[in-house]
Amino acid sequence: MIEQKLKIKNRAGLHTRPAAMLVKLAAKFKSDIYLERDGYGINAKSIIGVMTLAAEQGCELLVRVEGEDEQAAFDELYALFDSGFGEL
Amino acid sequence: MSLYSHTKIVTKDKISVEALLSAPVYLKKINGETGLNNNISDKNLHRPQLALAGFTELFTYHRVQIFGNTEIYYLKSLTREQCLTALRRVAGFPIPAIILTNRHEMDGELLSVLNDSNIAVFAAEAETTKTITLLSEFLDDQFAEQMQIHGSFVDVYGVGVLLTGRSGIGKSEIALDLIERGHRLVADDVVIFTKKRDNILMGTGQKMSKHFMEIRGLGIINVQRMFGVRAIRFQKRLEIIVELEVWDKEAEYTRTGLDEKPMELMGVNVANVKLPIFPGKNVTVITEVIALNYLLKTYGYSAADDLTNIIHREIALKRHSKSAGDPRLINYFQSDDE
Repeated sequence: MIEQKLKIKNRAGLHTRPAAMLVKLAAKFKSDIYLERDGYGINAKSIIGVMTLAAEQGCELLVRVEGEDEQAAFDELYALFDSGFGEL
Repeated sequence: MSLYSHTKIVTKDKISVEALLSAPVYLKKINGETGLNNNISDKNLHRPQLALAGFTELFTYHRVQIFGNTEIYYLKSLTREQCLTALRRVAGFPIPAIILTNRHEMDGELLSVLNDSNIAVFAAEAETTKTITLLSEFLDDQFAEQMQIHGSFVDVYGVGVLLTGRSGIGKSEIALDLIERGHRLVADDVVIFTKKRDNILMGTGQKMSKHFMEIRGLGIINVQRMFGVRAIRFQKRLEIIVELEVWDKEAEYTRTGLDEKPMELMGVNVANVKLPIFPGKNVTVITEVIALNYLLKTYGYSAADDLTNIIHREIALKRHSKSAGDPRLINYFQSDDE
């Protein structure tokens, strides 16, 4: 299992479009991917779930990936967060 | 994958005094904004009678203090000097808030003692017992254990059914089908369960996503807007968990329903059905049947037990008389050939 905090870098935060990007990416992988904020975890493959995080710029989400392709999944997630969902 | 492996039990260790204002008791602020940012770290309330009288050992000052008839009339029975001393003694402790019940009031001089110690003061219209009952229930809920679960939560014939299963298995589609058939959606995708008393889990949606739903290939829909108020509800007790999984030839599924293994969630046992799905299987109807079967069991009837008893009786009967008899349900067909 991989567990790491990732930061939201883009100014608009995790709004609909970034959320959709994140969910699409997560759904590609077999691993279970969870995002956690304030102890409440949500499934990263659920668009409604990801949007309810209402994650603003600067906020850190605990990303947990578990499964056979966890490393690949985490690497791509990391790159997506790092690129500010293409909004930097 | 188990339902728990990624879900944590969350509990608050403190709430702000300001949060008390959303309790189902009408509280009027008496000393402005004083102490509204204080923290309450205990769900219990306290009546500080002995502390006012001078016995402050074991004084549970971190609780919200209730000033009812006893406290107020005691203070009134004292001389002004004694009264101020008593109040100062109590206010010397870091009390988060004081609630005056029964429309009691405090004059400016007494209030300023509490102001100086940064203690919030509220007045409740209701009598003491009622205020305590309502506030205790509110604080119990605020400090209760919570869990956020990925699933769809639907009221089916009045039974709270949580559909779980891996992402993409079709939970939302089944929920939508159930709504079409007249059942009510509590929440989709993100369901927050709160433990109430020792054996009840109450579920509701997340405040932002309430009654929104994602249908693969279509996108986001608003169930309330689309189907109206009859299709939704805001809260429901959790009664059954239906775990959807792709049919697995190797796995064992119950054939009789006699051996029930409830699932434990936050220390509460919840009935649980593992439902294998495959194309062509009408999961919606089966979910309705699961709910109806639960209702029958709640009212004391179990089909599996019933059939077991019938078979026991038949076996016992055959032991006594060896005749096999007619195995048909009816002894002869009546003359109409319909």
